[in-house]
Amino acid sequence: MSKSHDETNGKHDPSRRSFLKGVGIAGAGAAVVDRIWVEVEAKEEQPAAPETLSGNVKVVLDVNGGKVPVEVEPRTTLLNALRNHAEPALTGPKLVCDVGTCGACTVLLDGKPAYSCLVLAVDAASRKITTVEGLGTPENLSVVQSAFIEKDGLMCGFCTPGFVTTISAYLKKNPNPTLAEVQEACKGNFCRCGTYPRVFEAALAAAKSGRV
Amino acid sequence: MKAFEWTNPTDLNQAVKLLSNNAGDIDDAPRPIAGGQDLLTTMKDYTSRPTRLVNLKNIKGLNRLSLDAKGLTIGALITLTELEEHQGVRKQMPGLAQAAHSIATPQIRNLGTVGGNLCQRPRCWYFRLEEVNCLKKGGSECYAVTGENKYNAIFGGGPSYIVHPSDLAPMLMALGAKITVVGPAGKRVIPIEQFFTLPSEGNIRRENVLKNDDLITEIFVPASGFAGSSTYLKFKERDSLDFAMASVAAAVQKSGNTVKDARVVLGGVAPIPWRVPAAEKYLIGKTLTKEVMNETAKLALADAKPLEKNAYKVPLAQTLVRRALAIAGGVTA
Amino acid sequence: MQQQQPAKPKKKIKVVRPVNGIDQEVEIEVDADSGPGWGPNDKHTLLNHPWPRVDGPLKVSGAAHYTYDMRPKGMLFARILRCPHAHAKVTKFDSSAAEKMPGIAAVIQGPLTELRYAGAPVAAVAAKTPELADDALRAIVVTYEVLPHVVHAQKAAEPDAPKVVAEEQNLQQKAKAGDLAKVEAAFATADAIVEAEYISARIHHACLETHGVVVDYSGGETATVYASTQGTFTIPKDAATQLGLKESDVTSVVQHMGGGFGSKFGIGVEGMFACKLSKQTKTPVKLMLTRQDEFVMAGNRSGAWQKIKAGVKNDGTLVALQARQYRLGGVGQGSQAGQPYIYRAGDFYREIYALHTNEDATVAMRAPGHPEASFAMESLMDELAYKIKMDPMEFRKKNLRDPVYHRQLDRGAKAIGWERRNPVPGGNPGVLKRGMGCAVGTWGGGGNDACKVDVTIGRDGSVLVSVGTQDLGTGTRTFTRAVVAEELGLQISDIKEEIGNSKLGGANDSGGSTTAASLSPSVKDGAYKARMLFAERVASLFDNAKPEELTFTNGNVSGKGKTISWKQACAALPSAGVTGHGVWRQDLQASGIHGASFAEVEVDTETGHVKPIRMVHVQDGGLPLNRLTMESQINGGMIQALGMALWEGRVMDEKLGVQLNPGLGDYKIPGSLEIPEMIPIIDDDDKREVVIGIAEGCIIPALGAVVNAVFNACGVRVRETPLTPDKILMGLMNA
Repeated sequence: MSKSHDETNGKHDPSRRSFLKGVGIAGAGAAVVDRIWVEVEAKEEQPAAPETLSGNVKVVLDVNGGKVPVEVEPRTTLLNALRNHAEPALTGPKLVCDVGTCGACTVLLDGKPAYSCLVLAVDAASRKITTVEGLGTPENLSVVQSAFIEKDGLMCGFCTPGFVTTISAYLKKNPNPTLAEVQEACKGNFCRCGTYPRVFEAALAAAKSGRV
Repeated sequence: MKAFEWTNPTDLNQAVKLLSNNAGDIDDAPRPIAGGQDLLTTMKDYTSRPTRLVNLKNIKGLNRLSLDAKGLTIGALITLTELEEHQGVRKQMPGLAQAAHSIATPQIRNLGTVGGNLCQRPRCWYFRLEEVNCLKKGGSECYAVTGENKYNAIFGGGPSYIVHPSDLAPMLMALGAKITVVGPAGKRVIPIEQFFTLPSEGNIRRENVLKNDDLITEIFVPASGFAGSSTYLKFKERDSLDFAMASVAAAVQKSGNTVKDARVVLGGVAPIPWRVPAAEKYLIGKTLTKEVMNETAKLALADAKPLEKNAYKVPLAQTLVRRALAIAGGVTA
Repeated sequence: MQQQQPAKPKKKIKVVRPVNGIDQEVEIEVDADSGPGWGPNDKHTLLNHPWPRVDGPLKVSGAAHYTYDMRPKGMLFARILRCPHAHAKVTKFDSSAAEKMPGIAAVIQGPLTELRYAGAPVAAVAAKTPELADDALRAIVVTYEVLPHVVHAQKAAEPDAPKVVAEEQNLQQKAKAGDLAKVEAAFATADAIVEAEYISARIHHACLETHGVVVDYSGGETATVYASTQGTFTIPKDAATQLGLKESDVTSVVQHMGGGFGSKFGIGVEGMFACKLSKQTKTPVKLMLTRQDEFVMAGNRSGAWQKIKAGVKNDGTLVALQARQYRLGGVGQGSQAGQPYIYRAGDFYREIYALHTNEDATVAMRAPGHPEASFAMESLMDELAYKIKMDPMEFRKKNLRDPVYHRQLDRGAKAIGWERRNPVPGGNPGVLKRGMGCAVGTWGGGGNDACKVDVTIGRDGSVLVSVGTQDLGTGTRTFTRAVVAEELGLQISDIKEEIGNSKLGGANDSGGSTTAASLSPSVKDGAYKARMLFAERVASLFDNAKPEELTFTNGNVSGKGKTISWKQACAALPSAGVTGHGVWRQDLQASGIHGASFAEVEVDTETGHVKPIRMVHVQDGGLPLNRLTMESQINGGMIQALGMALWEGRVMDEKLGVQLNPGLGDYKIPGSLEIPEMIPIIDDDDKREVVIGIAEGCIIPALGAVVNAVFNACGVRVRETPLTPDKILMGLMNA
């Protein structure tokens, strides 16, 4: 431990990590790590001891442009952090398969679609996270969201946030896709009610509007 | 998922040290994590129970992707999306871009890395089920032998009959890649053909020569006369999201109409990427006619030993060999 | 002494009803205070038009809250411990270590001590996080006495097979029908005979929202139970029993739910555990099944094994059919419609058996028993048609009495381009071969009298329609508004609805395509009655016109030459507004639908890969309430059938007795690349002015259509679903 443990100097000290082994939820507040994702400065000749986290840790997530503090374990997925720990809960991303085979939990990490069930919250702290809630609200829908409604690209709606998120990101990457390209782009999102044809229509209509 | 300690090393030495603690069988040892797209799924069903995860993403120098006259260098942290979208790779090693593109879904490719793809664990459902203690998990039986073995190996099986799930591996083997590994003793370079291990020859709990505290840092794909023709064909039961029922990585170098050099590696049929030298040798000096491609396909599958429910893989892989050769050789199938 | 209720005054009206398959006007009796009928299907202003669903904005923005999304303060997360053995007795249960783990609030053992399938629930834990609950499950030590098991149907039928239930035979005859002697005689007159065995795999509902509840109870006298259910009113009684509360003190809430397809009624084992845990801890508890739980313990569609023999004349007349049908229901009874299903078969004889295996009990799934029967019968019909070299569509018509099927087959054939079909199986040139198939199906879809609907018109012009029903994603909210809006001459956006709460008016469970036909007549009745009450109250504004003299159009109320805006007219209402109490009107609904499906596929004859090219389904249903959502549902039926045909099936390991594919990676539902061009067709030639549910109708025949298209394309008849590439390729190799 070569560095100061003084928290009052305003600098974040990468060596001062939580060592909360075995601390249950009740005791977690005692040791605080406000931000765990810290780049070690390249200049340092002797790298600091590696950051180590266990037990309950505090993480600040950057979600939809705002700071979302959560207290989680290292094993808590980003999806569970958003749904079970964030206040208020962010439940747009859905827990369906929990192993990256359905797409219902899709969020954008730095603008790219990712399965939030396959990302640890502690590993997401340095990323810009966008959930479906960040794409538009019922009162102020995005073009893609409006197209889903107009084309009826939803039934039970449980897969819908994932599809909306995936397609919103894809149309930014490819504003003028073919049907086949849309199908390829959302092959990581699954629907059980059978909304696919109209999801595709919605994506193409949103693209055609030129307002995405 | 079992609780673990999350560590953030900033250099390779630290990472290797963190991995060496508590060494045991792979399923209980500390594990490196990059994209985590496979690792986390094995942890969620407690198939692997690492006490510590060693995050590789803060280690500098593992995300190089550069192509020059000597070949292609791929850092272990390069994502599958980055590889498939690299214009130079698409042009000069098209099979590699195709293999990357064939993997899983856009979401997984956005986070999944090249290193992780090579080190992913088998998909055999007996292996993946928490309730089943199969041979590969330290149990006494490979249940696929007499069970539901439709997706299992037709080559190289015994005593375990998994197939290797990686799509990059067959293509990288066809292109003669070399894998740089860092461990406690320092750096070593392993030709890809020596990287993967059959259940009968290596540690049955693993699929490759790596030890618990070894890390892939880089993959080098040498420039060659055939890389530009390389082709990867993957056959999936469900196109949207699936592993290969069978796949073929092929590359052909021609002189005029004559084959000068060729590579044929099968995927999804064996516990390791399955190179077929007999087929490659046969092709040399031949013109890629339908008969020649048929014969090559036959040779490639000649030694297959199907289990009760996977005999279909023989004609399926034969078809893929013919088609891949036709594309690589620029002729009609 | 029970008092005699005074007989309600009645009146007679004429409605269109199918008689022997042909629509005819018949006279029925209805309550005298009933309003007029729906009127001609093509004269509606809102109904029978396409409307986007009203809950769309919430659902596309993540603002719709499902049961899974509920998180009452302090809520615990519960998980279920599953039995790893296919058949075992619990001899010892030790949860002491688990109870001592951090964050664990309670562990309870389930009621079962003999477990007859792998995945059977043994115990449940509640913890502060799902991660901690997962740990605790693995710290429970259960000692089992492992018993012999059998999970493959053919093995279970063998005489020395292990018994699934000790005191019962695995194979039990459940029904028989027809005259065997007559059938045998009829076979002698046939020109051609086909005898074949068909097996359809057990299919999973794979609802994206797993089964589960959130019990909001913190001690005290009342509780709210959020449930992912198809029946709001199937929850309170059982939940109250488990919680030790009065039924009236338990409210169930179902605002949005993520798919049920027949599998979600009642609180289930998950609800039982959640209530017990909540009662014990006096803390809210969420218990949503994990995906693996969902596969192995939440029920699935009955499998089927059918041995059928049929004889035909060369002119295409089916003269005899004999069937031995096994319902594969695991530890349950399974379901399967009797053969010859919808066809006229001269003489027939069938025996239906339940065949037990050590698998969880099957439950209803979208048209229970029908796609299974249809798959076998439509395959057989196809085989017969090819055998006598007759067009399969003409062959079907020959053996279908109901002219509606003929009309629908013609319509579908035109839409898919049946004339492009090569009559020779596998006869198209090249490696990629296309083919087409067709099939037909039927369902009931009528309603019942469970719905009590309040339609309240406020003095501020607001209109609220209230009923406890649930919207599974079928568009219930939307048509509920539309029915009221049309009756009152308003727009859909002028109406608000409240549903999904057991404190509101009663409603039926959404099973068997019964919701539309139960609910919409009740809503219309409520809206009509509200309109009449309204008209009475505002009569003074219209020179005291009689209620039936007022007309309601375009947001205006008119009568006796005067027109006043809706809002102005509403201002004349009393402060409480007026409320019409709607009850079911039998005359506004009916039962009996028809559907015809067509599929075109392309088979890669060197790999066995099947690429769906195009699917068509023609569906009648009387009055379409909302054309947009109805078409979506037809698409959904086709896509689920496509999944059954080509990819989906539970895989069991005989030795271990476990399901090998209990996840969405290995259990393969169709994804975006599997979807062909979809052509849903609403059969507007159906002039019946009644509402009929269509959800089941559109899943049944599409399965047979796809299977038959594969045969037409490549000449390989696969008689066991799913038609995966390995089966097709081996068929081609062995041809």
